[in-house]
Amino acid sequence: MRYEIRVDGEMSDELTTAFPELDTFVVPHQTVLYGQVDDEAHFYGLLMRFQSLGLHVAEFRRLPE
Amino acid sequence: MKARSVGGGRGDPALKAVTPDGDPVLAARLTVPTVPGTFVRRDRLVEQLTEGAHSPLTLVNGPAGAGKTLLVADWITAYEPGAVAWLTVEPQDSAPGVFWSYVLHAFRHHGIALPEDIGSPARPGEVDHSLLARLAAWLNGRDSRVTLVLDEFDRVAGAAAVAEELQFVLRHAGEGLRLVIISRTEPLLPLYRYRAAGELVDIRADDLAFRAEETAALVDRHGLPLSAEAARVLTERTEGWAAGLRLCTLAAQRADDPESFLKDFEAGHSTVADFLLGEVLRAHPEETQDLLLRTSILEETHPDLANALTGRDDAEPILEELQRANAFVEPIGHSWYRLHPLFAEILRVHLRVRHPGLEPELHRTAAEWLSRAGLLDEALPHAADAGDWELAAAELVDHLAIGRLLTGLAAERLDGLFARMAPEASGPAPDLVRAARELAHHDVDRGVTYLRRAEENLPGGDTGDGAAAARLSCAVLRVLAARVAGSADLAETAARDAAEAERALPAGRLERHPELTARMLTDLGSAQLWAGRFDAARSTLSAAVDAAQGRSTAFARHEALGRLALIDFLHGRPGRAEAHARGAIDEAEQSGLPMSDRTGMAQLVLAAVAIDRDDLTPAQGHLDQAAATSAASRDPVVAVELAILRSRMLVARGDPGTALLALDDMAKQPLVPAEPSPWVSDRITLATAAAHLADGDPKAAVKVFEEQPSHSPESLAAEARARVAAGDSERALRILDELPDDEDRGPVIDVWVLLARAQVVDALGDSAAAQSLVLRALTAARPHHVRRPFLEAGPWLRHLLLHRPALARDHAWLTGTRSPQPADSRQREESVGPHPEPLSARERDVLERLAQLMSTEEIAADLHLSVNTVKTHLKSIYRKLAATRRGAAVRRARELGLL
Repeated sequence: MRYEIRVDGEMSDELTTAFPELDTFVVPHQTVLYGQVDDEAHFYGLLMRFQSLGLHVAEFRRLPE
Repeated sequence: MKARSVGGGRGDPALKAVTPDGDPVLAARLTVPTVPGTFVRRDRLVEQLTEGAHSPLTLVNGPAGAGKTLLVADWITAYEPGAVAWLTVEPQDSAPGVFWSYVLHAFRHHGIALPEDIGSPARPGEVDHSLLARLAAWLNGRDSRVTLVLDEFDRVAGAAAVAEELQFVLRHAGEGLRLVIISRTEPLLPLYRYRAAGELVDIRADDLAFRAEETAALVDRHGLPLSAEAARVLTERTEGWAAGLRLCTLAAQRADDPESFLKDFEAGHSTVADFLLGEVLRAHPEETQDLLLRTSILEETHPDLANALTGRDDAEPILEELQRANAFVEPIGHSWYRLHPLFAEILRVHLRVRHPGLEPELHRTAAEWLSRAGLLDEALPHAADAGDWELAAAELVDHLAIGRLLTGLAAERLDGLFARMAPEASGPAPDLVRAARELAHHDVDRGVTYLRRAEENLPGGDTGDGAAAARLSCAVLRVLAARVAGSADLAETAARDAAEAERALPAGRLERHPELTARMLTDLGSAQLWAGRFDAARSTLSAAVDAAQGRSTAFARHEALGRLALIDFLHGRPGRAEAHARGAIDEAEQSGLPMSDRTGMAQLVLAAVAIDRDDLTPAQGHLDQAAATSAASRDPVVAVELAILRSRMLVARGDPGTALLALDDMAKQPLVPAEPSPWVSDRITLATAAAHLADGDPKAAVKVFEEQPSHSPESLAAEARARVAAGDSERALRILDELPDDEDRGPVIDVWVLLARAQVVDALGDSAAAQSLVLRALTAARPHHVRRPFLEAGPWLRHLLLHRPALARDHAWLTGTRSPQPADSRQREESVGPHPEPLSARERDVLERLAQLMSTEEIAADLHLSVNTVKTHLKSIYRKLAATRRGAAVRRARELGLL
């Protein structure tokens, strides 16, 4: 399953290292992270990681294969 | 409850000072956090909290850094809403037993005097439901609500059991409890129900977000005056997020030009916390940055610990300065500090970028420091995170904590921690941990394999405390393995090794860990019991009971008392057996051992005693309870005894056929231990033979004894009975004559032996001797109301009693319907009212014969009186006993103890 996650604000390069399994690029006002999400545990783990780093998830969507 | 070895361990005196009264980290979890001077109280939120005083549930939900904790802490500090207990939840609290231990601890810590009989959970994974019911009932009975605050509840958000139990307590506590849950996520409570009933105060992210005027007040507190317009823009940029605002003011304070900093920030598009934290961090001196990054691996830090991580000695002034500036850290007392979790999380990301590969090393250093400070529970996860399993295992062994992998509240958590242990980890300590885990999972073969390997690699001689602790741990595990294998010899050898290792330990060290000794003694005593070394078992188990009081040894005491009860029962002493069994059950109740975790032995003994008394209904209840314990399947003594007692129940209820089938089933299943137990086989033989006898097939009973010769007096008495019934009275007499005169034979065994002999001599035609033997048996049985031997004796006894009414006369308890138990007799007397007019000697003679169902004519003949005289006596008896009929008079006379 591939997912794309949009986070409010432009993440610093340091902070993107907290998501080594995802690729990132920055668009105006947002950071886009995308990549493979292995399973439900990984999915919830990611959500918790965003939350614990004070990041606001604006969008979380599954990409067509 | 986490049993902590505070101030113990290897006792570095210089480090004792960091843990002055117990555990600072634990205390911090129970303390209402300090509110900094820069905190802005917002009346609209305080009102919501105050209005909720009559609602059972208050929810403060919002993202990390939204200001949830401080809001509630400030409200409690400033408004003192009655009795408050505070608990900051930790991830390990998702185990219900651990969670409720801490909740009870929090109540008591905050001076809320819970009654002792509420108890406390003994296993991490579960909590006895009756405990929650007692807690809820106690809360319900209070005049005013207790407020329970659970901070960081999101850490156990996934634990449905905890949520369910909270819901149960909340619903049944009535007006006695107000629950305040602070969480990043919604708890798994039926919120809609509370909401619909108007019983929920709901403070959410939107409520927590700062409004523009509140932002202005906050920034002002930091000495940065802000225009209304600037406050509005800043609020918009941060979405009123408290952590963002706090970081922003900190960064602005340190910027050369605060105003232009704020303008730049407002115009930027970076993620708020990440950007600002970077800014704030950069504004601090290099040493401070370094300290913050390195200590980010800890939840709580101490200046000495921070120094160990930085390799410098400036932590104290740096931490004090950070606290003054209200940046990143908050004090939690005794020089300990806590990093704001959100900031710590981001700092860890920065640490990994700036110092790749440093993290494991920091974890190892932290583990070593914490362990030296005696904080084993804090040290172990760091050793694990360092991937240093040799260290983690060595810490556990050195602290004499290996037994905590086997029983107690920490068992599951430690088991989970060491489940991650790398297979490469080598040395005695990791192998001891592996052995303990296998033994805890009932895999004895693999446990013993690891144990052997650990033993081969143990350092020889007296090479320091570490070696002694490892030798002791190894010996204790060997005793356990020997117990499971049923080998008393191996257990005794291992126990001697343990005693030797104990002597090599520094004085006082072992006293701090009484659970290790108690556990070893229980295992040793159980192995000796299995082997039939009853005297040794009794003294070992008594030592286990006396070893040390307290929670950590509760299970060992429960188990040892249960086994002492069994020994008493096997020796035919029902009074002592009952006392020990009740002691075992009391111990379990007081320490809150859940049903499934109890050994069941005590219930079995109570059932056995009740069967002997022919009290079959209570016996069945005890049997059911014993069967519900986990030991029923794992502990061979319990498993066998359960099957035997079930068969005896079936025999007692007149169904020996089914009893035989059940015994047959059991015989087919192999017992776990490698070495057989002589007396356990004896008991099976005895039960089987008894079922055959009751089935009217003495030949089959004789055959059982011929195939499986048995040696206990009780078995030999049964064999004699079988032989007599099968027609070989001479042989039966020889068996009884050869019985050794055992001093350690309790009254019940005496009764069986006396009755067997009575039956034999009766069959040989000496009814006078039989009568005297029966009388002796009755006298021995009377104090304990042991009825079973008489009920199963067979027709000869009924015949004998029928023709010797004088015998039965003195023992109405035997044939009477449920005569009072010895313990109840006093109560009975109180309930029957004033004593009646005393009976004359003649009237008593008549009454006694009346009780033996003799007719008026028979009484007259027996007493050499006329029928009319007897009738006169009867009338007088009826009047004095206020009875109208024979039956009523006899019943009344029994109640009054006249018979």
